[in-house]
Amino acid sequence: MSNTVLKTSRRNFVAHKGRMVLSAVAVLLSVAFVCGTLVFTDTMNTTFDKLFAVTNSDVTVSPKAAESGDEAPDRGKPEMLAGPAVEQVRKAQGVKSAEGGVVSMAVTVVNARNENMGSTTGAPTIAGNWSDNELKSMKITSGQAPRGPTEVMVDADTAKKHGLKLGDELRTIAVTGDTRARITGIATFTVTNPGAAVVYFDTPTAQQALLGAADSFTHINVTAADGVSDEQLKANIASAVGADTYKLQTAKEAADANRKDVGAFLDVMKYVMLGFAGIAFLVGIFLIFNTFSMLVAQRTREIGLMRAIGADSGQVLKSVVVEAFLLGVVGSVLGVGAGVGLAVGLMALMGQMGMQLSTDDLTIAWTTPVVGVVLGVVVTVISAFVPARRAGKVSPMAALRESGTPGDKKAGRVRAALGLVLTAVGGVALYLAAAAEKAAAGSLWLGLGVVLSLVGFIVIGPLLAAGVVRVLSGVVLRPFGSVGRLAERNALRNPRRTGATAAALMIGLALVACLSVVGSSMVASATDELDKSVGADYIVASESRQPVLPQAEQALRATPGLDHVTAYREVKVTLTAPDGTSEETGLGATDPTYAKDIRRKMIAGEHAAAYGAGSMSVGSLYATKHHIKLGDEMTVAFTGGNTVRLKVAAITSDEGNIDKGMNYISTETAWANVPADRLPLPFMLLATAKDGQSDAAAYQSVKAALAEYPQYVVRNQADYKQALKDQVGQLLNMVYGLLGLAIIVAVLGVVNTLALSVVERTREIGLMRAIGLSRRQLRRMIRLESVVIALFGALLGLGLGMGWGATAQQLLALEGLKVLEIPWPTITGVFAGSAFVGLFAALVPAFRAGRMNVLNAIASE
Amino acid sequence: MTTAMTETRHGGTGGHAAVAARARKVVKAYGSGETRVVALDDVDVDIMRGQFTAIMGPSGSGKSTLMHCLAGLDTVTSGQIHLDDTEITGLKDKKLTRLRRDRIGFIFQAFNLLPTLNALENITLPMDIAGRKPDAQWLNRVVETVGLAGRLKHRPTELSGGQQQRVAVARALAARPEIIFGDEPTGNLDSRAGAEVLGFLRRSVDELGQTIVMVTHDPVAASYADRVIFLADGRIVDEMHAPTADQVLDRMKDFDARGRTS
Repeated sequence: MSNTVLKTSRRNFVAHKGRMVLSAVAVLLSVAFVCGTLVFTDTMNTTFDKLFAVTNSDVTVSPKAAESGDEAPDRGKPEMLAGPAVEQVRKAQGVKSAEGGVVSMAVTVVNARNENMGSTTGAPTIAGNWSDNELKSMKITSGQAPRGPTEVMVDADTAKKHGLKLGDELRTIAVTGDTRARITGIATFTVTNPGAAVVYFDTPTAQQALLGAADSFTHINVTAADGVSDEQLKANIASAVGADTYKLQTAKEAADANRKDVGAFLDVMKYVMLGFAGIAFLVGIFLIFNTFSMLVAQRTREIGLMRAIGADSGQVLKSVVVEAFLLGVVGSVLGVGAGVGLAVGLMALMGQMGMQLSTDDLTIAWTTPVVGVVLGVVVTVISAFVPARRAGKVSPMAALRESGTPGDKKAGRVRAALGLVLTAVGGVALYLAAAAEKAAAGSLWLGLGVVLSLVGFIVIGPLLAAGVVRVLSGVVLRPFGSVGRLAERNALRNPRRTGATAAALMIGLALVACLSVVGSSMVASATDELDKSVGADYIVASESRQPVLPQAEQALRATPGLDHVTAYREVKVTLTAPDGTSEETGLGATDPTYAKDIRRKMIAGEHAAAYGAGSMSVGSLYATKHHIKLGDEMTVAFTGGNTVRLKVAAITSDEGNIDKGMNYISTETAWANVPADRLPLPFMLLATAKDGQSDAAAYQSVKAALAEYPQYVVRNQADYKQALKDQVGQLLNMVYGLLGLAIIVAVLGVVNTLALSVVERTREIGLMRAIGLSRRQLRRMIRLESVVIALFGALLGLGLGMGWGATAQQLLALEGLKVLEIPWPTITGVFAGSAFVGLFAALVPAFRAGRMNVLNAIASE
Repeated sequence: MTTAMTETRHGGTGGHAAVAARARKVVKAYGSGETRVVALDDVDVDIMRGQFTAIMGPSGSGKSTLMHCLAGLDTVTSGQIHLDDTEITGLKDKKLTRLRRDRIGFIFQAFNLLPTLNALENITLPMDIAGRKPDAQWLNRVVETVGLAGRLKHRPTELSGGQQQRVAVARALAARPEIIFGDEPTGNLDSRAGAEVLGFLRRSVDELGQTIVMVTHDPVAASYADRVIFLADGRIVDEMHAPTADQVLDRMKDFDARGRTS
């Protein structure tokens, strides 16, 4: 018997494959997104692993305080080792070779036209000395290694990207000054370099250009003699030079450290993308659910017959589940394949943006297809379970009844009650979130509210359909007369189906609306704060987190027409409050003019007073926490400098986001207590034009002054706001792009519902055509039905999403998101757009309906 | 009542000489070569205006095909069909659709009504599609004639099979078409409900001057007609005026007998 069940399932599956196509595509897309993400991130990991495996020597010796990771050091110079250390290390047992290395990431390389040669994707620019260690990962493919102070070698990817040739001049900008050199060689990575721009000098030039000191290194590359393990070598070196003098890392440790830096970023990316895949899956569930509901409804008589001749309800249920299983397997297997394709596509896209990845490194872990198929099959079977159970409940009497699928009239009081309760509880949770005093508790309420209100809307959707679709039709379909009315009735015919179809679209659009509300509130809040508090005209900072070099600062200070320039540094200190608690933190060390540049709201005292000798200011959060009053004395231990007592001369309000929680001292105070070579460089400069100066002219001259330093961006207030807006906009666009998948699946759902409805209503369509409905009217009727369903989904989604967004803003008001801004152009655009989505989704079903032969349609069962 | 009907029926015959629809040398064939099947073989027929015509014949005789072709639902292989002065053979889908909408009424055996519309909306549907306002007086009269006044707001699922067919009759009548085609309109009804529907069709011919063509295999249904046309193997083989059910039954038995012997 179970064989028969399998056989019917398989035959049904094959017979209705046309009706399954869109469901299969939904499974395929979701699985593809999951697998694509996994393959892509695994490939990135492989790429970095391979890179790190060859770039580190057996043991690397570096200064104790050396930074790890890609951050440019805030002094503009890496930590150094004195030259004799190399000799010392070389004498350790088991050392085959020890070679001093120089490498710095606090550099900017520009060509003759002052264009930055660095990556735009966040990968670093690295300058170093050309050494044997480099030969493990690179080979010179053109010209020769650099020799002398005027020769430089560049990596092939960078050369290609910027059209650099042998003989071109490159200027390497470091804290120690600019180094101009001609390209004498181009070296190609033998592994995949994901995007760093790399230049090499010979060792003396690198020492001079990057460290400003002869016979100094940033690290020592040590190679082990034959038969000596890396661990053994490390132990030997430790005993030779002292265990605590230097940081010693084996190749593996160094690679692990490198990987940890990149891995964290890759993990975040992976989980974000998987999150979006999850949303696509969620939307896909509705599509699959609808497909099976409709197939079961259409097959009611057939199922009744099976029941009448003796199949029990379990067998019927099983036959539908098996069908879903087959669908899941087909969709998932195709999805895994498509996922690999997607990963390759993503890699190509990254390549376009300047991040080189090679398909040679394409990594497909065995878990990837397993995860994809299991997920796809499980989700499909779960989605089909409710319709399958409904099929099991079909009575044998159904075989005898007149065909035709009665509408699901009583959507159910239980459903209504459940939906209302869920929505109400969700609403209360959202209200609590908005009213929350503490961000942590509030975000819990927010999460709960979002989930409950979403589920509530999904449950209640079919009930809302009746009212909302009527109202929408009254407005939108009125001009279309009787065809419009037919469309409305069709949309209302099966509220559960309409509800599920619209819910799929609702989910995606709710997220779009929510994020766009939060995004535009962010921009509005930041703009508002900038307007209120920033007095400076121009802001100078690096986009690649490079500190502002002294030569750039001087250039700016020398610009005519400026009233003043303020440098903003952050010095590391250990701060001890009068109550005895201490913490490591940063102090904002600025010129006193900063009080004019940024109008901080004060709790006590004047901002400017913080810049007096022996004085500082603290933020209100810190002050409240540690009960600090004006006149209290703080103990400030400057890292690498003196420990002094500073008097609290001002308390700033921490209401806003600009410099939230920042404690200020004057640059003078920092200079007095930190040795000159340990003082960090400013990370930002603020400039203000003299009164009476035309803004355009001053802006122009400030830009001109810094033209030689393309790593810094100069912005006036308007451009700064625009940049902020662009940044948020870019982020939102990325998120919309990822949500696009969920929306595509939702649109497929609309297509699917319409296509299956058209099949289901074949006879009706035949009848209407017979009594005089023209093809054009028929197609219009189907399009209008689609439009109404889409608008219904959009209305629910946008409404829900705006509610979430407004709640989130209320909650984030605690964090400075003070202004609620509903982006009406986006919201109305999305609403109008969804009407087009509806039109688009109806294209094929309407076309097919129009093509139906009237006689066959009437005669069809 | 039956007596009265019979009398009026006789009175109606021959009163109108004008032809509402005519078919000349109509051939309808499917497939080609060896597998060619001829459904209509050189059929000539005139449908008289203001008459109730029944088309009969055994299964596969081509009676439904003939009706579909006359109604512009199906295309012919060769020959001409005229509806009044309009030649409908060769009309494009758009014009045919408009012709069906404005000049023809339909009653099918089953599934005549849209489940999403109530009875009244179903009745006025062809006019709504055309964007015309129904003539309220006429509509009232039709609704009264078919006895649906109390059920106009009901959905098809809330009506019995007989009531549904009466709604279909009302729809066919409401737009005042030149001709109404019925495809076994009582095929799915019990004899009482069937008699009711046939009675309305008869009255609409007698009282409203409607032209009706009906395909049926039921001699009783055919007996309501003014004229019965018999088809066999795609040809018109006989016709009968003012038939009774017994006459028709005898004629049909003849077909059966021949069908068995041949």
